[in-house]
Order: sequence, then C-alpha cells, then structure tokens
Amino acid sequence: MIEPVALKDFFLTFFSAAMVIMAGALYALLFAYSRVRARPRLMPLAYAAYICLVASVLVLATVANLFATGFWTIIVALMLVGYLLAPHAIWHLCVGTHAHEHADEESRSFRQQS
Amino acid sequence: MAAPGTVAKLGKLDLANLNGGQKLAVKYFTVALILFGAQILFGLLAGIQYLKPDFLFGVMDFSVNRMVHINAMVVWLLFGFIGSVYWLLEDEAGIPVVGLGLGNVIFWIFTLAVAVVVVVYLLIQVGPGNHSTRWLIIEGREYIEAPRWADIGIVVCVLAFFYNVAATFTKGRYTGVGGVLVLDLIALFGLYLAGMFYTPNISIDQYWWWWVIHLWVEATWEVLVGCLMAYGLMQTLGVRRKIVETWLYIEVALMFGSGILGLGHHYFWIGTPEYWFTIGGFFSALEPIPLVAMVVHSVFDAGAHKMKNTNHPALGWIIVHAFGNFFGAGVWGFMHTLPQINLYTHGTQWTASHGHLAFFGAYVTIVIAFFYLGLQKWRGNVWMSGGLIGAWKWKWAMVLLNVGMIGMVMAMLISGYEQSQIERAIEGSTWSGYFIAQSHPWFVQGNWWRQVFGCVFATGFVLLVWDLLTIGRDEKRPAIAHGELATA
Repeated sequence: MIEPVALKDFFLTFFSAAMVIMAGALYALLFAYSRVRARPRLMPLAYAAYICLVASVLVLATVANLFATGFWTIIVALMLVGYLLAPHAIWHLCVGTHAHEHADEESRSFRQQS
Repeated sequence: MAAPGTVAKLGKLDLANLNGGQKLAVKYFTVALILFGAQILFGLLAGIQYLKPDFLFGVMDFSVNRMVHINAMVVWLLFGFIGSVYWLLEDEAGIPVVGLGLGNVIFWIFTLAVAVVVVVYLLIQVGPGNHSTRWLIIEGREYIEAPRWADIGIVVCVLAFFYNVAATFTKGRYTGVGGVLVLDLIALFGLYLAGMFYTPNISIDQYWWWWVIHLWVEATWEVLVGCLMAYGLMQTLGVRRKIVETWLYIEVALMFGSGILGLGHHYFWIGTPEYWFTIGGFFSALEPIPLVAMVVHSVFDAGAHKMKNTNHPALGWIIVHAFGNFFGAGVWGFMHTLPQINLYTHGTQWTASHGHLAFFGAYVTIVIAFFYLGLQKWRGNVWMSGGLIGAWKWKWAMVLLNVGMIGMVMAMLISGYEQSQIERAIEGSTWSGYFIAQSHPWFVQGNWWRQVFGCVFATGFVLLVWDLLTIGRDEKRPAIAHGELATA
C-alpha cells in the first residue's frame, strides 16, 4: 500500500510538504488581498503562488512515491483541485456572510449624505 | 456587573464589575495560570535531564518530569477553556448561570483533585504495575496518566460544567455559539470515556486511547476554541454575531469533515488494518483546507474592520493564534503526516516539535487572549487600546513567549530530523541505533538550544504574569464602545 521515502529524499519530502502549505496559504492570501483591495494586478502573483504549489505537490508526490498507486495519484489530483478552488469558494462565502454589513454601511452613508 | 446606581472605578480590580459566571471564570483563570507556570518549570527540568541525565535522578526522574509537564498542559488548558466558557456564558445566554453554586463547588473539587494527583505523582514515583496502582496512583497511559479515581472525577466535573452551560442556555436564549458549545461539551466528556477501560491488547488499547487524544484535541477542543474565537472577535473587533456564527458553522463543518477521520494518521503503526493508511493519508491531506479558509477570511475581515479594536493585547493574541494554528497544525503537521515519511518521524523529536507549536498556536494563545478580556472587565472595562500605559509589558511578553516557542520548535526539528535519518532510516530503529542517534552532535546541540529557548519562554511567562497583575491599573479611560467600532 505504501512505499517509504528513500533516505536521500528526506529533505525534499519535508521541504516540499511544507511548501505545499506555505504556497497554498500565499495563494489564498494574495487571492483574497487582491479582491478585498480591488488590486487585480496582484491576481497573477496569486496564481504564480498556485503554480509553486503545483510544483511542490508534484515533487512531494514523486519523492513520497505517491504516483506508484492509483489511490495516491487520485489524492494528488484532489489536492491540486481542492487548493485551486478553496479560496474561490471561501471568498464567495465571505461576500455572502458580510452582505448585510455592507448593506448597512451603504444605508448609513446614504443617511449621512441626505 | 457593577450594582445599579454605582459607577465602577476604572483601573481597580473589583469583583463587582463581573457577573456570577465571570467571578467563577476568574478562579479558573487563576489556577490555569499557576498550572501554566508548573508546565514550564517541569519542562525546563526535563530539558536539563536531556543534557545531564544524572540531574535529579532518583529524586525527580525524567519520566515524572515529562509526565507532569504534559499533564499540567492538558489540565491548565482545560481550566482555561472552562473559565473562558463561564466568562461568556451570561453574556451569551442573557441570564445568570443556572446552578452557579454547583459550579463553584465543582471548581474546588476539581482543583483539589488536580493538586492531589500531582502530589501523588511526585511522592510515589516507583511501584508495582497492578490494579491498585491504576486506580490510586497512576494509570500509566501516556498523556492521560491520571489514576482512575481522577478520571471519574474529571467526567463528573465536566458533566456538572455541562449542566451549568446547557441549563443556562436552555433557560435563557440559545445563540449559535451557545448551540455549538453545548453539543461540543457532550462530545468533550463522551470521548473521555473511551480512555477509561482496561484491555491487555496494546493495539486495541491504543485504538481507543487515540479517541481521547486525537478527537479531544483535533475535534472537540478545536470547536471549543472556534466558539471562544467567535466571542472574542465580537468583543474586540465588534464583528457582527451573524457573521461569526456563520463562520463558526463553516469551521465546524470543515473541521469535522477532515479532522475526525484525520484520526487515521495515528493508526498507521499500532497494529490496525492497512486501510488506515488510505483513510489517514486522505483526510490528513484535507486537514489544511480549513486553515486556507481561515487565511482568506482573516484578510477579508481585516479589510472590512480596519483592525480598530477594544483590546489590543487580546486581539494581538488572537492574531498569534491564527498564525500559530496555521504553522503549528498546518505546516508542521503536513510535513510529516503522510505514512510514506511518517514511518520515520513518528514519535521522534519531530513529533515533539509539531506538538509544541500546534498546542501553543491553537490553544495557549486563545486562553491568554481571554485572560486579557477578563482583566479588562475586572478593572471596570478599562481602556486597553492604543497608547495603553505600560503596554511594553504585554508586547515584550508576547515577543519572548513567541521567540522562545519558535526557538524550541526549531531546535526540536533539527534533533528530530537527525533522529528520523540516523535512528530510523539508517539504523532501522534498533536499540544501538537509538543510542547512536542520541549522541549525535545535531541531537545534542538541538537539546541545548531547546533549553536556551525554554529559558526565553520562561522569561516571557514571568513578564506575562507581571503584566496580567498590573495591566490597566493606571488607566482612567473607559474602553472603546462597540458602537464606535461599528462606525470605524
């Protein structure tokens, strides 16, 4: 079921696994910041972070022998799709949950103006 | 609350500023802080024994120091959580705590029981491993060593606590935070029962033991912290209830979706069937997703609220909580969670490194944030925002505690890396391999650096206690009103 990591690949395994999470967080951070501050030029950087994440996942999958079986290959694919879509989904949830707050702010500023 | 018609004197510690639940919370916080100090003290002693194995040998053995170090952590966090729930209970339910007298009695019983258990640990360090030992002295199972009588006591105390919480919400009003809390407390005492029966089969024993360890920590405690975080954000940033409660539900769903079966990563090497590799690997890969969600939501909230807040130290620790949880649970966890590499790292200093950062980041930080929320109100809802008198103390305490923790974590990471390579991969987990790895310069130097940074952490703790005793004492300004936050 599993094929252990080779000794020579220890560092690469730890490093690539850490980079999966770090690049995933950087992608989420840049994605959200670009949207919340309305700075679309940051969005390419967000996707560059996602490409780093893809590279990290592929390195991890190679050194941890994940491509050796179909099950682990599916997990790799799900991780890539999940990390790509998660910030989009969470962003929509953020907008939805804060919708009333924004409506209140707009009505408050309207009252102050009138 | 101050009595009607009276004005609370700003900056003065006065129990009249607090409601009944909050007065009880202060007692829990006090014991929690003392036990936090005990945890650090015994951790330092155990750390010295890594460097000088003869130190206190036969007087206070390493096994005892390590056990008290970890048990003190579990119990002080539990006291901190219980105190935090009592703190928010009347605010949330809108009525006085139901059965507060029982809650007070249970507090004293719980505290006395903890003291007796620790004294017995220290006085009876060696003895036979029979049933009377298990019932009266020590159970002998890592992390939940408390003897059976204390186990039963813990369940009774948590049941009484559950009664206080459930009855108060039922009689008052059920908020979203309240509903999640009540359901979570059922799981909190229910899961503890899984660790309370005896079986001579080590695989079966470990199977159930992990229900307590993993599911308490990565499910019930995380959800409890989610509730505390929701209340903390409403108090400090003035975030609307509807928003925090919606996010609490999302967090609970994500956490349960990935965290419960993430239990599988503890079942890799205990003699359970091979399908646990599949389950553990899959759900461990999912576990970072709630953390990515947290990053997006934090950025959104920071943009929406411009960080204007009522309590700088509390919000500071809530921010440390977000980072600490991300790095400790996310990065440090995922680095060695897949079975292909966990085969080599399981139970080494790698695990200790992950454990230290994850517990500090996810739990210690949020309890400290509640200490500060508590003190603000205890001193008459005093100003704790920008320009706070003596603010250097909380800032330096935060810096020293964080630098100390990160230093310890990095030192253990280096030691653990060496252990997993030499002891596990090269020497094949043999007896001689264990000693070869223990005497390797990387391991030894890692232990020295852990001790150095442990002292930095202890210094931060002393400063934290000093700050908690004095913060807000000289302030005469009232706290920022929530209405002002809403218009920020």
